[in-house]
Amino acid sequence: MIPFRFILADLRRLWVGSLVVVLLIAGATALGMAVNLQERALRLGSARAAERFDLVIGAAGSDTQLVLSAVFLQPSPLTLLPGSVLQALTTDPRVAMAAPVGFGDSFDGMPVVGTTAAFVLDNGRETLLEGRAFDAVPEAVIGANVPLAIGDQVKPLHGLPGEGGHTHGELSYSVVGRMRETGTPWDRAILVPIEGVWRIHHLGEGHEGASVSEHADAADHDHEHDADDAEAHGAGRIGPPWVNPPGIPAIIVKAKTIADAYRLRSEYRKDTTLGVFPAEVLTRLFSTLGDVRKVLSVIAMATQALVAAAIVLVCVVHLAQRRRQLAALRALGAPRSAIFALVWSELLALVAVGVASGVALGYVGARVFAQWLSQASGIVGPVMLTMQDVWLAFGLLAIAAIMATIPGVMAYRQSTAVALRA
Amino acid sequence: MLGVVVRDVTVCVRGLAEPVIDLPSLSIAAGEKVAVTGPSGAGKTTLINVLTGLERPSKGQVLWSGTDIARLSEAQRDAWRARHVGIVFQDFHLFSGLSVRDNVLLPQQLRSFRLPPGSRERAESLLRRVGIERHDQRVETLSRGEMQRVAIARALQQEPGILVADEPTASLDTESAKGVISLLIDLSASLGTTLIVVTHDGNLAQAMDRTICLDRGRLVMPAARAA
Repeated sequence: MIPFRFILADLRRLWVGSLVVVLLIAGATALGMAVNLQERALRLGSARAAERFDLVIGAAGSDTQLVLSAVFLQPSPLTLLPGSVLQALTTDPRVAMAAPVGFGDSFDGMPVVGTTAAFVLDNGRETLLEGRAFDAVPEAVIGANVPLAIGDQVKPLHGLPGEGGHTHGELSYSVVGRMRETGTPWDRAILVPIEGVWRIHHLGEGHEGASVSEHADAADHDHEHDADDAEAHGAGRIGPPWVNPPGIPAIIVKAKTIADAYRLRSEYRKDTTLGVFPAEVLTRLFSTLGDVRKVLSVIAMATQALVAAAIVLVCVVHLAQRRRQLAALRALGAPRSAIFALVWSELLALVAVGVASGVALGYVGARVFAQWLSQASGIVGPVMLTMQDVWLAFGLLAIAAIMATIPGVMAYRQSTAVALRA
Repeated sequence: MLGVVVRDVTVCVRGLAEPVIDLPSLSIAAGEKVAVTGPSGAGKTTLINVLTGLERPSKGQVLWSGTDIARLSEAQRDAWRARHVGIVFQDFHLFSGLSVRDNVLLPQQLRSFRLPPGSRERAESLLRRVGIERHDQRVETLSRGEMQRVAIARALQQEPGILVADEPTASLDTESAKGVISLLIDLSASLGTTLIVVTHDGNLAQAMDRTICLDRGRLVMPAARAA
């Protein structure tokens, strides 16, 4: 009926208006799309980050803060747990693995986390990408995205990433292994034996044969050779069991059974300690996040409605300007259905291009945002299009197809004779 | 070739006491060349609209070789017009962005999914007859005289029985106007088309067989125009 070339020529002739309409639609679609994609990515990404953490035990305080610090390595000063809790957990028969995590130091903006070799290997369920787990204090295992190589030296800086601080000249770790990529903040972390963290902060090492005062003396004596001195002290042994270990910010616990995990959690929800399932805290966080998403979705939808209204207005103005052209087409013998088809299909073509580029734009936008987020937080959010997004796009097209009938019918009903006289 | 008989046609417009057109009787023979003249607002365009079925008269009959187009529905009038009437406008109404050839073919394409065989060839031979050789040229790059010649080729593409031209020379310089006048006359004669031309152009009116003069919607003697 309407030659395709005619529609193209028409759109080309009206390219400024067409471009504005396409951009408006693309922007509105991208907004809605990005909100959906990003929220989904964040949800999947953080759920994945929490997978390895069955139960986290920390000092009494905010459970959200504990999860953010222990699971997502968000820098924040946590109250320390007494070392006795760690000692009790390592000997608890219901516990498969109890790994302390000690933060507070960083290297080149990356967090240095003190823990155990068992945690590095996820109690034997994980293997390393290269190298081996640490088996002495001055050794470190790095996350997949840490820009260091095996054999490099790490001198931690006291203070959290992004804060100032002084270098712990007294201890330098050498990298002996690299973990597989997990898509979590741990990819950017440097894992060292917890004993190293204790030693640096002159807290003792939790093993027989090492004492705070000795270390303090050694540190004062000669910073450069302190690491060697420490080994010379015969305190090189790392990992559990500990004897009177110093305080730690959090303990990651793997229980032998699920029932044990629940029992441990309630046992450690006492006056001075807090046991949380990260998944539980995340669920609560996401329901808050879900509310935010709802608000954003409503905003996106309102934007889309406004854009739709603007487009109807543009169409009406546009039709008034085209009255003569359409009337001439009628005079030349075009049936009314052809006029309707012309106006409708031109409009729908613009909407289709707009929605398609909006989906692309939203996807790219969500990707860029996710990348920024993963650089800032280490959480890799998998941004992906699902059927839900495809349906959203089709829904928008369907609404547009219905809305485009309004100007289509207006063009259809326009009197030819009156229009030609203008 | 079609002739028309108009009986008791009036066209009234809401808000005006007097009808815009009031024609007790008017006939144009098949193959006749007729000029329609008169001052602005005399109802010339309305008459053309009624004759081509673009506008339905308030009452009366418009019989083209027996078919009363005043009784046809809008869709039927569209179909009838597409089949029998070629129109040339004062300001061409060519569609920019399309080639000369596509402009000639457009009215046909608007009515059918596929062009009838031979359409392309006919368009090209018509274009050659009106003196346009570059058929792939974008229509907006032509001169005004050339544009009107393309419009004439387009009007004749579907072998209409009636060729209607509304002020075809009014927006052209004298030289182009002369060319357009002789094209209209030669082509309608050789194709056997009834030619109805609305014009203020004395040269054009004189080249016709007859002049219909309108004043305030009524037929007047051509002599009245000179007075």
